[in-house]
Amino acid sequence: MIEVRDVQFAYRGGSFRLAIPALRVPGGERLAVIGPSGSGKTTLLNLIAGILTPAQGRVEVAGSEVSALADAQRRDFRIRTIGFVFQDFELLDYLDVLDNILHPYRISALRLDRTVRERARALAERLGVGDKLKRRADDLSQGEKQRVAICRALLPGPRLILADEATGNLDPHNKGLILDLLFDSVDTHGATLLAVTHDHELLPRFDRVIDFADFQPDSRPDAKGGAAA
Amino acid sequence: MIDSLYVAWRYLTYNWGRSLTLVACVTLIAVLPLALELLLGESQRQLLDRAETTPLVVGAKGSSLDLAMNSLYFGDTVPEPIPMATVARVADTGLAEPIPLYVRFKARGFPIVGTNLDYFEFRGLKIAQGRTLSMLGECVLGAGVAQALGLEPGDSLFSSPETLFDLAGVFPLKMHVAGVLAPTHGADDLAVFVDLATAWVIQGLMHGHEDVTRVTDPTLVMGRSDGNVTATAKLMQYNEITPENIGSFHDHGDPAEYPITAVIALPRDTKSGAILRGRYVGADPDTKGDAQTQQILVPGQVIEGLLANIFRIKNVLDAVILVVGTATVLALILVFALSLRLRQREIRTIFKLGCSRSTVARLLGAEIGIILAAAATLTGLLLAVVAHFDEPLVRALFIR
Amino acid sequence: MSKTTCASRFVPLLLLILGAFQWALAGEKLNIYTVNYPLAYFAERIGGDLATVSFPAPPDVDPAFWMPDAETIAAYQGADLVLLNGADYAKWTAKVSLPRSRLVDTSRGFKDQYIQQPSMTTHSHGPSGQHSHGGTAFTTWLDLDQAAQQAEAIAQAMTRKRPDAKAQIERNLAALKGDLLGLDARISEITHRAPGRPLLASHPVYQYLARRYGLNLTSVMWEPDEVPSESQWTELEGMLKDHPARWMIWEGQPAAKTIERLRALGVETAVFDPCANRPSTGDFLSVMNANAESLDRAFGQEFGGTQGARVVRAPTRSSSGASEP
Repeated sequence: MIEVRDVQFAYRGGSFRLAIPALRVPGGERLAVIGPSGSGKTTLLNLIAGILTPAQGRVEVAGSEVSALADAQRRDFRIRTIGFVFQDFELLDYLDVLDNILHPYRISALRLDRTVRERARALAERLGVGDKLKRRADDLSQGEKQRVAICRALLPGPRLILADEATGNLDPHNKGLILDLLFDSVDTHGATLLAVTHDHELLPRFDRVIDFADFQPDSRPDAKGGAAA
Repeated sequence: MIDSLYVAWRYLTYNWGRSLTLVACVTLIAVLPLALELLLGESQRQLLDRAETTPLVVGAKGSSLDLAMNSLYFGDTVPEPIPMATVARVADTGLAEPIPLYVRFKARGFPIVGTNLDYFEFRGLKIAQGRTLSMLGECVLGAGVAQALGLEPGDSLFSSPETLFDLAGVFPLKMHVAGVLAPTHGADDLAVFVDLATAWVIQGLMHGHEDVTRVTDPTLVMGRSDGNVTATAKLMQYNEITPENIGSFHDHGDPAEYPITAVIALPRDTKSGAILRGRYVGADPDTKGDAQTQQILVPGQVIEGLLANIFRIKNVLDAVILVVGTATVLALILVFALSLRLRQREIRTIFKLGCSRSTVARLLGAEIGIILAAAATLTGLLLAVVAHFDEPLVRALFIR
Repeated sequence: MSKTTCASRFVPLLLLILGAFQWALAGEKLNIYTVNYPLAYFAERIGGDLATVSFPAPPDVDPAFWMPDAETIAAYQGADLVLLNGADYAKWTAKVSLPRSRLVDTSRGFKDQYIQQPSMTTHSHGPSGQHSHGGTAFTTWLDLDQAAQQAEAIAQAMTRKRPDAKAQIERNLAALKGDLLGLDARISEITHRAPGRPLLASHPVYQYLARRYGLNLTSVMWEPDEVPSESQWTELEGMLKDHPARWMIWEGQPAAKTIERLRALGVETAVFDPCANRPSTGDFLSVMNANAESLDRAFGQEFGGTQGARVVRAPTRSSSGASEP
């Protein structure tokens, strides 16, 4: 599903450098990425999602060389292929739950029709927020918000889910629940999951764990130079 | 586009306070100059139309504007009176037909206009209910007066005392409503028309009472001398004129000296008008006559001068509104820019989700569009209201 | 097309159009209202078929003190011309609303010659308050020279309204003035037979007659249909001592008892009808002629004598210009 080779990336005007010689994630794998803050974990997610492009190297996702696509093509690829789940949920307070779930369809070329709405309702039902569709996002609990965020990520039927500290703001009870939901949804949709996490107690549940320090020796706390993710 | 509008709508309604404030600001910037334009246009129409259809006005020397406003629009400021004999003198010139006006008193806040039937013909006033003036003590109401006071032919209306403390002066006369005029959308709608003699009755120059020469109550008679009976102040004067007592009404002075406030002169032709004007302008200071104490004015010129001043003021107002409006627009832009900064995180998120820059611009543009559309709708409604009520608004605000 | 041909074609057409316009105007009669009968008579004589003249006061009232109802006032308001006598005649006109532009004060031309009456009882308010004056004598037409001036004022007003009929109006006015001034000369001749001869009048309505024709006239306040009281007789007897009149002129025929008692005092009775209202028979001129005959008797010359010719109505001319007897 994901193939990263000889990727070099640096933020303009910054001293942070990311270098990934090789990374391969087979389709359907549940991969956890751990590492110290500032090591570039989120940068990696952004490179895979096509939000950022490497200075050199190659990023391939689902057979498409994302790093070589034009901006509009990357966006289109991203919305159809990749689902994002954020640490801070990133729901829109002024929309209700249903509108938040449907939001990707309103901001892209994806067609929003009755079928999509029905799928959204079913998805919400399955993730336990089906009775909260008319409530505003800021009326929900943390766990409910993350469920809505997962619905939003899953609705377009992505082949790859990128979760950036998806359980970071949840209590221990909800951490497990959310991870179960993620795994369940990923399995149901046959998607690949790449999750950045600091929750080491959850690592055993993943298929594989990558320590980002292996890619970024300089990112170790005792290393020289700064880092920005 | 619909999706953008939907999302924008939800955002605006969620932040309804901010949205309403923005709509109100934009509406105010738009409405103020446009409404002012509407009202000034209407005031120009009202003032000029009436002034231009009134060829000449003769009145006492003094403020030509006060004279014009009192005789054309029955304004509150009452000019110095001129004698009724002026009417005959204008008629005797053979140059113009005179129409006297005596606009001094009020009835429940509305001006009482003492005149004669020629005025109605001159202004094209038609009777909508009842009939025109016939007997002393009657009045004909403008359409607006009848509506405001709920009066119709057969009802009564008291004139208002000029001052509470002048008990021996102008006192209330109970006038009988003979008719109501059809609406004219002008100053005549808000006037109470009486015969000139009735105005003099209100003033006390004419009055009616029992025949003093035949009273038997000794307290009513102060004394009798050769051919004259002197009455005491106890003798009650009628405050209502009826068919039974109209015969008793009389005056004690020379009607030629009775006061009026203006004479509308209708010249027979342009040349006659010019000759008549010439008799009042540049008169020899040693010449006796009306020209020494009176003036003649062309109402159209006076009002045009007034309007020129108003429009000079309007230009200043426009400049002020422009500056204020520009400042408001800049403030709105600042508010919007700050709002964008606050929403950076939201924009980053949707960008990450796959939203293009143009879509982000479309979303924000939709918000601006909805605010502008709401402001435009509100502006349109307010201007429609102003346009609908422009006549009474102008009369209440500008023409007094 | 030559100029001549053009003129010969269009001038007749123009004349036809003008004629039609005048005919249309001519079809519209002037609607004239008056406040007394003499003015109505003058207007009828002067206007002829140009005018419809109305004088709506009932025949049994004195027009000077008549008060029309609202309907009649409305009729006056709708007139093309309202002929006023002036001299404070018809006080009702000051208490109703009439269109000033259509009012004609027929005696305005000699308003400085109005006679003020000092003998009426007036009233005033307070020691230094408003006073009323005696009032203005208003039977201006009894001075036939003044009557002629009033007729002129009427003619001028009609001419302003109907300038197209100026010639006809002037002709009619000349005929009327001929009659009035002829009568004026006749009465002058009669009264100058005995200048200063004392006369009595039953009512103070002959001021202008007295002034114009030099009558030595003293008035009482008697009514023809009322027998005077004893105090009134006593007053008369007192007056006769200083004013030894042999004739008393009345507005109408007095009661027989009154005539008898006057005769007992050596005073004969003659009727001089001011003719303020429409007579039951005849017209203004015939009434004034009868009045002249009354004066004739009072001044000692029998009717039919060689020195005075009866004034008959001058031949009138119709609007077509043909004479009528």
